[in-house]
Amino acid sequence: MLTEQSAYTNRWRWVSPTAKGIFTCSGLVAACAATSPRASLLVITLLMATAIFGAGIPITHYLRVGAPAMLFLGASCLSLLVTLNFGSGGSPLTLQSNPDELSRIVHICGRSCACLAALLLLTLTTPLSDIISLLRRCRVPDTLLDLMTLCYRTLFVLSAAIHETLTAQSARLGHSTVTQSLRSLGGLVANLTIQVWQRSQALHIAALARNNDGALRFLEYPFARSARHITLASGAGITLILLAVLIP
Amino acid sequence: MHIMEGFLPVTHAIGWSIASAPFIALGLRSINKKISEHPEQRMLLGVAAAFTFVLSALKMPSVTGSSSHPTGTGLGAILFGPTALAPIGGVVLLFQALLLAHGGITTLGANIFSMAIVGPFAAVAIFRSATAVRLPFGMSVFLAASLADLMTYLTTAAQLALAFPDATGGFPASFAKFVGIFAITQIPLAICEGFLTLVVMNALVRFNARELQEMQVTPRSGVRA
Repeated sequence: MLTEQSAYTNRWRWVSPTAKGIFTCSGLVAACAATSPRASLLVITLLMATAIFGAGIPITHYLRVGAPAMLFLGASCLSLLVTLNFGSGGSPLTLQSNPDELSRIVHICGRSCACLAALLLLTLTTPLSDIISLLRRCRVPDTLLDLMTLCYRTLFVLSAAIHETLTAQSARLGHSTVTQSLRSLGGLVANLTIQVWQRSQALHIAALARNNDGALRFLEYPFARSARHITLASGAGITLILLAVLIP
Repeated sequence: MHIMEGFLPVTHAIGWSIASAPFIALGLRSINKKISEHPEQRMLLGVAAAFTFVLSALKMPSVTGSSSHPTGTGLGAILFGPTALAPIGGVVLLFQALLLAHGGITTLGANIFSMAIVGPFAAVAIFRSATAVRLPFGMSVFLAASLADLMTYLTTAAQLALAFPDATGGFPASFAKFVGIFAITQIPLAICEGFLTLVVMNALVRFNARELQEMQVTPRSGVRA
């Protein structure tokens, strides 16, 4: 997963996750508070520059992670551009030509891109295990955190199992036709569902063997100079919000 | 069908988060109760969340030539119940936003409401109704999975129509527009997901009959695969 690769290898790997969380939240607030497309564009540029030049995320990684979301956004904005016209003759679907509506769609697109840039800044610089630790400090319920921890630690195992099974099925022409593909996929998902029971049972036994009495606890890395990073992130975040609000 | 990060107006994003919060709280209570009675279910639910996440990496063939991934909503709801699926779905949607940039943080509440609340509740209601009127097990599973998918898609269309009503026709015209546009891909995908869930459940009935009976998915007398 490209996101995980960047999260573990960027320059800000050892910057406090709290600081990165604060700056991301500020980015989201700034994206929502931006009153014009120009302000949104500024927020996007600043957040992208922070990720690429500040955290040292390779631009190719950044674009490859953001591209599917951008395509999805394009399709979503296209659906807003279309309007229905029943009973007026001709095609029931017409494109928007009202300038107010068009500027509203541009504003939505800008806000969405800015929010995406804020999200990418967090995900490309912070491993998910650090985000879970951050959520623990934010008093998110333990049960939810346990679900997240277990999910994160087993998804790569299941992902590997999927790829191996898909390779084996493809080698036996299991995906040569649509019907065959659906049948193979059903077999794969059924097999994985059974593995879910088997693996969870094995994990339970392993946890019992280590005297597990409830919540799953992991050691957290103590981040150096946290207070300094948090102050810097807060200052940068406030500046970003002010820029978004003040630029016409 | 995820709503993209930042796509909804702030008031709507907050509103859908508030609407989803009680279901998450109810789901967590239900999970805590389950775990206190059966401690081994802690691991099962966590691994099930990972399983639902990796399902989104699978490509499902579609009749229209496009491809998408199975949501697992129907299957998860039938196996674990609709209340437990709200927090599990929430975790999966959060992971999809963080690891794949699919969906988002600001639209998490809206996506949870359509995919982890409406879909699972619809799936279980349809599955139980179909079982009550003695439809064959396979038909009940197919209807539950495919109609749950359609309910999810209708809810997303309603969320978008509420946020972006048509300038002249208002909410109804906007809802008709979104339903019409997404129907091209979503109806074939719902049918495919129904068949896929059916194939999975048939395999589970054959190989994991005891677990299905313990989870009260099938009666003690069992069903024919």
